[in-house]
Amino acid sequence: MPAAAAAAAAAAAGGGGGASLSPSAFIPVCTAACLLVASTSLFFVFTCPWLAVAVCPAVPPCCGILFLFVLANFTMATFMDAGVLPMANEDEDKDDEFRAPLYKNVDMRGVQVRMKWCASCHFYRPPRCSHCSVCDHCVEDFDHHCPWVNNCIGRRNYRYFFQFLLSLTVHMIGVFTFGLIYVLHHMDELWKLHCTVTLVVISISGLFLIPVLGLTGFHLYLVSRGRTTNEQVTGKFQGGVNPFTRGCCNNLEYLVCSPISPKYTARPREKTAIHIQPPFLRPGINRQLPAKVRDNGIQSQDVQNKESSVGAVDLSGVKHQASGPPPLPPKPDHGMLKSHLAAMDEMGHHIKTIIPVSIPTVPQLRPVLEAISRGSSPIPPEQLLKMSEQQVNNKSPNLRSESRESPARVSHLPPLQASAASSSLQLNSLTLSSRSLTLKHSSRHGSKSQLPAMHADGLGSNPPLGIISSSSLLAGHSSSSSSSLTYDNLVNPADPQFLTQRVAPPVGYHPHYMALGTDGTVVQRPAPHTYSPVFMGVSRQSPQPRDPSPSLQGLNSRDASPSFHGFIQREPSPAFQGLMPRDLASQSVASRDIPPPGLTMRDMTSQTLRDSLRDLGPQGLTPQKSAAAAARYDSFSKTLMASIHERREMEERDRMLRLQARSQALYGPDMGIYDIPSRRSLPPDNIRPPGSRGPTPPAYGSREFLMSTGILGYGMRTSPLSSSSTSSLTRGPKTSSSPLQSSSSSSLQSKGRSSSPAYCPPDRQTQPLPSSTSTLPRLSSSSTPSYASYATAKRSSLTYSSEGKDSVTLGALK
Amino acid sequence: MATEFHNLQELRHSASLANKVFVQRDYSEGTTCKFQTKFPSELESRIERTLFEDTVKTLNNYYAEAEKIGGQSYLEGCLACATAYLIFLCMETRYEKVLKKIAKYIQEQNEKVYAPRGLLITDPIERGMRVIEISIYEDRGSSGSSSGSSSVSGSTAR
Repeated sequence: MPAAAAAAAAAAAGGGGGASLSPSAFIPVCTAACLLVASTSLFFVFTCPWLAVAVCPAVPPCCGILFLFVLANFTMATFMDAGVLPMANEDEDKDDEFRAPLYKNVDMRGVQVRMKWCASCHFYRPPRCSHCSVCDHCVEDFDHHCPWVNNCIGRRNYRYFFQFLLSLTVHMIGVFTFGLIYVLHHMDELWKLHCTVTLVVISISGLFLIPVLGLTGFHLYLVSRGRTTNEQVTGKFQGGVNPFTRGCCNNLEYLVCSPISPKYTARPREKTAIHIQPPFLRPGINRQLPAKVRDNGIQSQDVQNKESSVGAVDLSGVKHQASGPPPLPPKPDHGMLKSHLAAMDEMGHHIKTIIPVSIPTVPQLRPVLEAISRGSSPIPPEQLLKMSEQQVNNKSPNLRSESRESPARVSHLPPLQASAASSSLQLNSLTLSSRSLTLKHSSRHGSKSQLPAMHADGLGSNPPLGIISSSSLLAGHSSSSSSSLTYDNLVNPADPQFLTQRVAPPVGYHPHYMALGTDGTVVQRPAPHTYSPVFMGVSRQSPQPRDPSPSLQGLNSRDASPSFHGFIQREPSPAFQGLMPRDLASQSVASRDIPPPGLTMRDMTSQTLRDSLRDLGPQGLTPQKSAAAAARYDSFSKTLMASIHERREMEERDRMLRLQARSQALYGPDMGIYDIPSRRSLPPDNIRPPGSRGPTPPAYGSREFLMSTGILGYGMRTSPLSSSSTSSLTRGPKTSSSPLQSSSSSSLQSKGRSSSPAYCPPDRQTQPLPSSTSTLPRLSSSSTPSYASYATAKRSSLTYSSEGKDSVTLGALK
Repeated sequence: MATEFHNLQELRHSASLANKVFVQRDYSEGTTCKFQTKFPSELESRIERTLFEDTVKTLNNYYAEAEKIGGQSYLEGCLACATAYLIFLCMETRYEKVLKKIAKYIQEQNEKVYAPRGLLITDPIERGMRVIEISIYEDRGSSGSSSGSSSVSGSTAR
């Protein structure tokens, strides 16, 4: 029995699908189906043969077709999806679930239609949608749930249902009529089988005709009015306007001719995976490409340079001061630096004035010099003299400005006073310039040690204070490209931002190198201001303490002073580094002030210094710590100074020789002439700080270069500084090395860029160090920017390295 | 798929679903399938307004074409009726054909426009033609705080 089979199927299916699948739900449909089929079959068997003969032979086929139509529609009405709306995902109803108002109004053709929240399906029911409790789902254009077909009548199958009704009505009428005719014609044979059957058939059909007719009429009415049973029964549009009607004829047309709506559930899905891979485009943001730091350093990049601008301004000021060719400064050592710092404190005011210059020049280094002279006299007077001579020769103008400061400073350096009165000036300028470079570099990288290196180098910049200040400056504003023009160009050509930003002509940095008189053309600019920028840079860069590399690093990168550069590169004194940033930070505030002794010490390089200072640690620039650092430095001074001094002497000598040889070659084409190229071309320095971050290639041209060319009196500080600076410049090296190579443009660039590498996570520092220091020609001017950008990117990535979001590919989606 | 390449030039991070935006239906012209072209605020920073509107308008056009009552739909109905709807076993309805076009269009839009922006459009048919679901993905590597409140779509007036 079909009913039994249906019941069994329903039982097997379980309670799913709501009540429509329960056994009891199949009774009506089975009954209806049975009745229909049976009756019609009987009609055809018993009545139609006579009808075909008596009335018309076309009667049975027509009835047959009609019956087929009825069955088809009945089947469609029964088995066709009414337009079930799938339940909403959790994502869709997250908010609605808890705070959803029951109704939501939408405007439809000027009529406000209320959409009700369906708690079962978790969405607001579209207009005309209703939830069928029997089937437990929302149906689009819900009409009713017909028990006779055991299905919801909705948008998709209403047409079939209506046609079923129509056809059934017609069929039933036909069957009834023809049966009646038959019976009337066989009144005397009523008890025969045919008549009896026909009587039964017509009675059934007659009996069910009335409800079916009623239902059909009802639905005709609904269609004409454009309503659903649901709406009619609930009286929705009793007194109002029905926004869904299109007019009687159009409604009928819609009913019959509308395309068949698609099924929403259980659709065959062919999903092709779409991979969503960052980085993502963003509107507007995509268009603005981040200002690229270019290696030539000529272009000033906006973003990164912004910060540096401040520093740059200062640096430029400093740079000017230190523009004179600083004599090779005595190799700074920590102790010396400390003393220098102290000296510089006194000279702080000088530095202040100088600050505007970007490059820490000799004046900045002066403190170092002084410290050196004062302490263990790291710089032998003769060296100082030598350097100073060079400086004097080359940057007399600078010296002049420096001399203003140097005298005061010189006083602090008894040993130097006599001989180094002038030389100190020169040295100062040198140191300053170198320092400015280193500072710049360090500031960029948060390396602190560079400052001391600067000092030691005595870039003929301003007084040794410059070193400290420069380091601070450098730290402060690695970006102060302008000041770093000279320094940066030499040291860190790869820092375009800094360089470019501030100094329009990359050559700007060179001034004090030029002053050193490599070519004799020197000094186009007054040296003295060189170190102020360093300070500024330092201040700014104080957050870069990440760079354990000595402050020189920053300086290196930025400043074009070869000697400094070399220093920086070579002598990453961690201690300095730690100190420097902090000091720098504090200095940044004071910026122009004498950097805390610790800072200056930093670049003093030497192993001992480094070690001793190491405990100070690269702690980042915290002003508070600078004082502590300074205090610490005091303790080191003696031993450190000695070591530094020794080293410096050695380095100086070597450098001098090399620089001389190289100077010509180095002054290459572009900018920086005195800058970086020397670094690269210079033979490796003898100074390799043991355990330094990297092999400070003595060849860091800066030192030798300076020495030889006399541009920067870095020679002095080469050895101690170089090693320390180099290591400290680890981070910087990325930028610093390139600047060396690319000279002016790069210096400009490196300025801006160095900051970013400075920010590079410390993890990178050690690695690059060796490479950078060892191989000067790190043409990272290109890499630097990439580092820069990468640093930021990487930083962010590191920060967010692993979030727990589910990564999704589209294919997996949904 | 969390692959992070520490490449200088490119960092690849996996994307994670952050939020979903739902573009609701526009019933102003009746129950015909039409989606609102109002630009959701959540997409302000993700995609250009014009792109989004173009997509929605194209989808609306597709649906309008699918639901058009005319000669073709009538013939289809008659044919279906004549064959006792057996024709549905072998033939695809017009609406289904348009739906395939729509799916293809959405796929193409996803690939070209939305996926590069970290967005993904879900075919409305999967949501019962009630909403266009746009999934917003965040770069998991770069932004830790992806996922904002995944507020439900553009639920309109509450």
